[in-house]
Amino acid sequence: MKVFSNTETFDYSWEEVSTANWRKYCPWNDKSTHVVAVDTVSRTVDPATGILRTERLITCKQSAPDWLKSVMGGCMADESHVFETSYVDPATRTVTMVSANLTWSNLINVEETVVYRPLNEHQTQFKQEAKITALCGGWQRIKNNIEDSLVKRFRENAIKGKEGFEAVLEMSRRVFAEEREREKMSTIRAQAGHIRMAHAS
Amino acid sequence: MSQSLAKQCNDLKEGIGTADNNECSTLFKEYSSCLQGALKERGIDRLLEDAREDNKENDAAFLGRKK
Repeated sequence: MKVFSNTETFDYSWEEVSTANWRKYCPWNDKSTHVVAVDTVSRTVDPATGILRTERLITCKQSAPDWLKSVMGGCMADESHVFETSYVDPATRTVTMVSANLTWSNLINVEETVVYRPLNEHQTQFKQEAKITALCGGWQRIKNNIEDSLVKRFRENAIKGKEGFEAVLEMSRRVFAEEREREKMSTIRAQAGHIRMAHAS
Repeated sequence: MSQSLAKQCNDLKEGIGTADNNECSTLFKEYSSCLQGALKERGIDRLLEDAREDNKENDAAFLGRKK
């Protein structure tokens, strides 16, 4: 088993990060292009704790390294699926996301845990840990190679993920600010209208 | 808005993003049944069931917080 871990800080509040997180793979993110589809399978709120539990199916398209394809033969499709379960706890202000690979799960076991926690009112910490285990029987050397190449892939995707999510956070902040401004303006206009009406009557 | 893995469910998925609260739950139900069909067709439904079973420990850990 190999472990990949990574910690990042986002200069956005936990509220902004936990909201924008649902849009992490929208078109504003032009870096994480390996994610081609996101489907919400189930969504529930625990009435006792207020924790939002969501299941999503993430579809990725990223070709496997050529040497791995040659080991595996033709059975290595380029499209793969990841099952993600997330828990948003508004009381402790924590988002926890656990993901496991659905594809090639008899060959490789990948379990990733991501946690978003507030560092202060303006910053959020992102903590990621992935445990990668090659399950196939046979040579240890091949297992090691499979695990190493996946760790490398995780590292590359993590860098792109950070850049892409930064873009989504920036756009979300801008759009929310514009929305607030529009609401403010329409309230002012409505008030002005009332005043005019009052004067006219 | 990101795409659905099944083309035929995309319109419903997009609709949810712009719907109001009332429409939203109806659309989500329609989208869910569309998605279930697509997952079954691709044999992903059984993989999903297994993964859900494997995730029980995480549910206990992350939903089990005392009030």
